[in-house]
Amino acid sequence: MNVYITACNSINPVFQPDNFSWKEKIETPDVIRFTCKEPDYKAFITDSATRRRMSRAVKMGVAAALQCLADAEVTPDAIITATGLGCLGDTEKFLKTLIENGEDLLNPTPFIQSTFNTVGAQVAIAQKNTCYNTTYVHRGIAFENALTDAILQLGESAVKNVLTGAYEELTDTSFDVQRRLGMFRRGGRAGEGSAFFMLSSETESFCRLKAVNVAFCQEKSEIREKLLAFLCQNDINPDDIDIFISGESGNTDEQPFYDTVENAFPSASTVHYKHLSGDYQTVSSFALWLAVKIIENQAVPAHFLKTGKAEKMDKILIYNNFRNINHSFILCGRQF
Amino acid sequence: MSELDIIELKKHIIEDLNLEDYTPETLDAAAPLFGDEGLGLDSIDVLELILVLEKYYGLRVASPEEGKKIFQTVQTIADYIAANR
Repeated sequence: MNVYITACNSINPVFQPDNFSWKEKIETPDVIRFTCKEPDYKAFITDSATRRRMSRAVKMGVAAALQCLADAEVTPDAIITATGLGCLGDTEKFLKTLIENGEDLLNPTPFIQSTFNTVGAQVAIAQKNTCYNTTYVHRGIAFENALTDAILQLGESAVKNVLTGAYEELTDTSFDVQRRLGMFRRGGRAGEGSAFFMLSSETESFCRLKAVNVAFCQEKSEIREKLLAFLCQNDINPDDIDIFISGESGNTDEQPFYDTVENAFPSASTVHYKHLSGDYQTVSSFALWLAVKIIENQAVPAHFLKTGKAEKMDKILIYNNFRNINHSFILCGRQF
Repeated sequence: MSELDIIELKKHIIEDLNLEDYTPETLDAAAPLFGDEGLGLDSIDVLELILVLEKYYGLRVASPEEGKKIFQTVQTIADYIAANR
């Protein structure tokens, strides 16, 4: 069975969601905190009563998902969402009220909306869709696990199209907590974003999702073995990879892993993105969106290109490392 | 309730219910809060309105029947506050 990405949409800190253009001038701010460029949500979530109850995270997730559905023009047989920390804004609001009001006079809306599965649920409600609907909350590999589930679902005969995506929100409090914990002392940046994909086993497209793999390893020597095993499992030689999308964030603790993986692809061009998007638990969803856009446009914007000339863009490998614990590989492209 | 107090009440309602399309000036005090002709609020909003009364004015709504009368319009809420504060 082949799995194709037939549509995708993202709200991220790099590109304008309204009047999106791959060729737009990309800003390169020298910051450690990246915030999404958000659209006018009235265009995506037309019901004002629904919209006004949604937090930023929910709006970002639902808008990206609904636009993806509109582009794909199919009714999904499954909706699978991923998030690392969920609807943080509403959670903070609820907990803050709990403390300030002495566990009394609690507003119901932030509590209702603070659950991790709010985005998947709101998409289902908006579409009046009662299909399989689940949310993965697995720290740095939540999106990869959602993709794996989507592929497994597509292996079932009745499931032909699966909406899969991820969302993450960076709030003032979570950024301050991360900073206080010293998470940017060794480099690295914080970010947020949402990205949704329509995966199909019946409709072919220019981009195929070939394989997804997650690995646990703490030694950089292990990552090379796991990478080669993954490639071998998929009948791919390292020389076959045209573009390597590296999740390097500038964190010096994580860099040796990225260098090890990058060195396995001497003939590939390397693309990096976290210097423009920041890092977050489900950032590999942005990397996959980037890969799809690279294949679609057959071009890599200069600010994303780290090494090489990106002359060929058929096979792409995405590698992400979450705090030197969770590692993931996503293989996609237009020719396999 | 004075005009100034009604504006303050409207501010609380707009902020706590996140009525992003309204300002105290555009929110008609006589418009029905529920139903298609008014603001289109629903049962979750009633809970939010109960909290507005309790949090900012120290008033508890005792029964659902009482609530039906109080939460008809912004003006009826203001009247209730003026009569019971």
